[in-house]
Amino acid sequence: MSVNYRWVQWNRHKRVYDATAVGAIALFIGAFVIVGSVVYPGERALSGPILLLRAFGVTALLLLHIVLAIGPLARLDRRFLPLLYNRRHLGVMLFFVALGHAALVFLFYGGFGNRNPIMAVLAPDRALSWPSGLPYEKFGFVALMILFAMAATSHDFWLKNLTPRVWKSLHMLVYVAYALLIAHVVFGAMQSERSVLYPVLLSAGVIGLGSLHLLAGLREVSRPRNAEAQLGVELAGWIDAGRTDAIEDGRATVVCPGSGERIAVFRDGDAFSAVSNVCAHQGGPLGEGAIVDGCITCPWHGYQYRAADGQSPPPYTEKIPTYEVRIAGERVYVNPSANAPGTPVEPARLEGKGDG
Amino acid sequence: MAEQDRDSGIYVGYLPTPARDKRFLRVLIPVLLWLGAITTGLVAWRMQDPGTGVWNISNEQTWEGVLRADPYPLLEIDGAGETEIVLLVEMGKFGPERARAFDGRRVEVTGFELERDGRRIFELVPEDRAISALSDAPETQTLVSAQLGAVTLRGEIMDSKCFLGAMKPGEGQGHRACAILCIRGGIPPMLVTRDASGNASYYLLVGTDGAGLAPDALDRIGEPAEISGELTRRGDLMMLMIDPGSVRGI
Ligand code: FES
Repeated sequence: MSVNYRWVQWNRHKRVYDATAVGAIALFIGAFVIVGSVVYPGERALSGPILLLRAFGVTALLLLHIVLAIGPLARLDRRFLPLLYNRRHLGVMLFFVALGHAALVFLFYGGFGNRNPIMAVLAPDRALSWPSGLPYEKFGFVALMILFAMAATSHDFWLKNLTPRVWKSLHMLVYVAYALLIAHVVFGAMQSERSVLYPVLLSAGVIGLGSLHLLAGLREVSRPRNAEAQLGVELAGWIDAGRTDAIEDGRATVVCPGSGERIAVFRDGDAFSAVSNVCAHQGGPLGEGAIVDGCITCPWHGYQYRAADGQSPPPYTEKIPTYEVRIAGERVYVNPSANAPGTPVEPARLEGKGDG
Repeated sequence: MAEQDRDSGIYVGYLPTPARDKRFLRVLIPVLLWLGAITTGLVAWRMQDPGTGVWNISNEQTWEGVLRADPYPLLEIDGAGETEIVLLVEMGKFGPERARAFDGRRVEVTGFELERDGRRIFELVPEDRAISALSDAPETQTLVSAQLGAVTLRGEIMDSKCFLGAMKPGEGQGHRACAILCIRGGIPPMLVTRDASGNASYYLLVGTDGAGLAPDALDRIGEPAEISGELTRRGDLMMLMIDPGSVRGI
């Protein structure tokens, strides 16, 4: 996890993941190039570099849709979690495909002339007219710069050193990049292409991604705020986390206090403990994880924490906030005021086996 | 397998993938790959036709004719019918300034042919052998231009080299920055119009005095534009004499 930084801490899953991703990219580019040269063969053939730069551009946009869909899909259905595991490598590959597109554009459209190739493309001396005169090249370029910043800081080293909050906001810029790329295509290629297929595909992408995010978001918002306990002075202000038997062994239920972070209440056999729902790595939803080898395990990249004190087992040093837990009758209650990260808390045990 | 016994039911990257997830991935991944390949294939399938321009880059050729520096360096080639006018360009995105020294001479030029819809353009080899004079004195006879009257035309201003085959497609939004670069570099500008069935007509753009336009005179390159001017014909080439300031966007 975090003791020392290596380029990539490889394991079999990452290798299979990356190999599949590289294969997919080659397949998408290949499909474009092959179909493009079959529909326009011989004297009608597109210039090789133009065919290729289009293939790279289309593939990059497709990949971006896939990358952005993985997050909400994994929230809606856990079976997508394996795709999330190494998503950042996919993001880095996406950057390189987009860079390939940009490099070919600068070289062939901007090169061989009397100006700097990059400036010739980004700042052509032309009158601005609506809509075809919009500087769609600049939209694409800014998006590429965002993708670059994300790819360059995708390593955990940066996550630690930029602080998770800054890192997260930086990586939320991907939605800005997405919007810019849609504008890049709408005011660029689609100004001269006439097939209805393009607006149809692009809208399908935008609407599809939008609804996935909306669905995943709605699910979060519709989680009921948990009621405060009505059990007299002792548990005043505590939160009702539901029936003890409603929590599967090794799993958690997620509690939404009126304010503050969500809390994950885990069950390990007959012991109940509560920790912050937010993973110290990239903020993954711990409550959607499970207890593996005695430790709470994040569903995103598998960071682990001991339920009893919110600390990662040595040699790792991550800590997350813990919460006090009580069982009263058949229900579990949580004190919503968080303990400092890593504070030991005695788990609450089922009736007859002691109460912490 | 001991690891398998500990199957927690959730996916953890460094542990064996739970069987349920494995089954799911075995379906999901191929479906994703197919969908992706079909998507990029479909996008490629519906691209606009880039036209029939051909650039014979591997076939160096030599032609004979009378070189004129105006309105842009060109070669007049006598054939069976009317005189063929062939524009000359350099490699890259430049006009052939060096050709002006041969104004009016009968010459032999060496280079590569670009051709689209029967209209040709020659790209000179970079060496000095590109143009050699066959006569010492300028030809006395000049080709007369026929005045065809005032017209207003709608089309797209393009650089002749790319459109006739150097870039495919050499028109449209994606190509615009390139067209601007070419014209600014001295490649002669053309107006390309299309009739209802998509057939293109080419008009070389020149100034109201019939001389070539300065490389930076034109705006609205590569976008739909409306241009009014006097139509002239010289040999087999149509020319439109325009005031560059009068080009309007549509
Ligand atoms: S977010 Fe990466 S392991 Fe939890």
